Amino acid sequence: MKTLLIISWRNIWRNPQRSFVMIVAIMAGLWGGLMAASLAQGLMNQRFRTGVEQEYSHLQIHHPEFIKQDNAKYVIDKREELSNHLDNDELVAAWSGRTIVSGMMGTATLTSGVTIKGIDPEMEAQTTFLDKNIIDGSYLEESARNPVLIGRSLAEKTKTRPGSRIVLTFQDLEGELASASFRVSGVFQTANSYFDETNVFVLKQDIGQYLGKEMVVNEIAIVLNDLDQVSEFARTYASKYPELEIRTWSQLSPQLAFYNELGSTMFMIILMIILMALAFGLMNTMLMSVIERIRELGMLMSIGMSKRRVFVMILLETTFLTLTGAFGGMLVGYTTVHIFQNKGINLGNVGGDSLTDFGFEPIIYPELAPSYGLILPILVIITAFATSIYPALKAIRLKPAEAVRQE
Amino acid sequence: MKTVIKTTNLQKIYNNSVAPVKAVNNISLEFQEGEFTAIVGPSGSGKTTFLNLIGGLDKPTGGEIYIDGTEISTMKESELFDFRLRNIGFVFQSYNLIPVLTAKENVSFIMLLQKRSKAEMEQRATEMLEQVGLSDKLNSRPNQLSGGQQQRVAVARALASKPKFVLADEPTANLDTESAFNLLDIMEKLNKEENITLIFSTHDQRVIERAGRVITLVDGSVSKDEVIS
Repeated sequence: MKTLLIISWRNIWRNPQRSFVMIVAIMAGLWGGLMAASLAQGLMNQRFRTGVEQEYSHLQIHHPEFIKQDNAKYVIDKREELSNHLDNDELVAAWSGRTIVSGMMGTATLTSGVTIKGIDPEMEAQTTFLDKNIIDGSYLEESARNPVLIGRSLAEKTKTRPGSRIVLTFQDLEGELASASFRVSGVFQTANSYFDETNVFVLKQDIGQYLGKEMVVNEIAIVLNDLDQVSEFARTYASKYPELEIRTWSQLSPQLAFYNELGSTMFMIILMIILMALAFGLMNTMLMSVIERIRELGMLMSIGMSKRRVFVMILLETTFLTLTGAFGGMLVGYTTVHIFQNKGINLGNVGGDSLTDFGFEPIIYPELAPSYGLILPILVIITAFATSIYPALKAIRLKPAEAVRQE
Repeated sequence: MKTVIKTTNLQKIYNNSVAPVKAVNNISLEFQEGEFTAIVGPSGSGKTTFLNLIGGLDKPTGGEIYIDGTEISTMKESELFDFRLRNIGFVFQSYNLIPVLTAKENVSFIMLLQKRSKAEMEQRATEMLEQVGLSDKLNSRPNQLSGGQQQRVAVARALASKPKFVLADEPTANLDTESAFNLLDIMEKLNKEENITLIFSTHDQRVIERAGRVITLVDGSVSKDEVIS
């Protein structure tokens, strides 16, 4: 076997130019594949993270009727008991109780439909890092009078900025129309411009006084220490609070669950396409190599080298050629990903800003799951084996007596 | 003397589209141990086909071939691979060395396939290359050797595993006179010293003059079989 390995390795360097071109093609293919896959993975993971962190959290609790009717009068019962429970649960990293009211935001020039979210600023900051997304003005302060945070898209649309006065109109708990004046304290920006355009944040007690009840909690968003505990947590709380609707992030946004799956699926699809294209190039190279060596292969079989050994030799040659290119491609690919995974690739200047319309950030941070480091070589070896079968069969079907006299 | 090869009514007929061609037609011959035989004849007389048959590279359409008492004409292909490996040495017209291996590795190659010990391979390969006058070329690759030197490596390779006989298909055809004489001297010496049975197919008068026995084939049949004293 050792000699076969040596012969196979040396054989691929008989025609260094051809082997070099093939190796570079494999390297370039895999590098391209890894980059495309890592960008897709990074994009999907970012969307998943921002979606979970800034919009949905890991879980949300509502009154079942609130989900159906979207009416603020359906508040979460046993709020005190639930608060104590969440505060003392080791699985919980942070949580935030919110008042959720559908309404209209009016300025001197424009009116826009919004979801008004009444929050506790500190708890919200711990849960969704809303305070970190302030790009102009300041975060909600308890001491301010009727402060409101609006998204960048909404601010641009309504031509408002910190200090501007706006009027929020909504139904109170009795079903009567209520209006109140608020002053913009800050402008926030998330990766999702639609979210920014349709959500405003006010203090929970401020909205409560206009709704007719001091403490109205329609939604509790929860972040756990470990994302993998979500299902188990949901089951436990659902059995303790059967009167409430507890939904996980994947139930809240099946789209996010799809993105999460899509990242790894995209990797496999991109890689398969590239490997398939490379397989034909490889097969061509190996066929040429066999055809150029017909006399030598005839000699090897004449002197008694079994067909099995000839087959293995061709297989090893293909594998060496492929693996050399694959490891080179992986090295360059992983290095490139490593360079850009913290720095990011800014697509903002090439039309990437429109990505925010779909909830994606314009700066993509490529990511590769460590498991790909194992999957990739396995796929490459399978490709090499599959590719070598035809040339190897061609070699062993030669008739030694005829092959050895081939001119 | 011991009979190494025996053929009985050996036949090889090729069925081409026009009419069947009798490439080998009822050849019954015996080759004794240590014989130096030249098989001669015009092109198309069946020399190469006959060599292919007794070398187990081709199957006869009729008759029998016995090598050291074992009939090989009925063997399966896989058995023939192993039989060739263990019993027959080949020298080809175009040298046919493995270009990526050194002279010593080329000579060791068959022994390696035979799974001989490393020490034995080392010793025998060095010894054989010394015998063919290439002790200073052990680590040279074929492209660093002249045609004559490459053919001497091929002879060393064929003989290194101590086969029962060596088949050489026009081994001097591509060599200049000096290299051809040099090669024949070596083969003659090894034939005598190691008592190896050598069978050449050749057109080369230089080879014919050295042979102890000359068999002439015409149209697939033996037309003359003379022992040269």
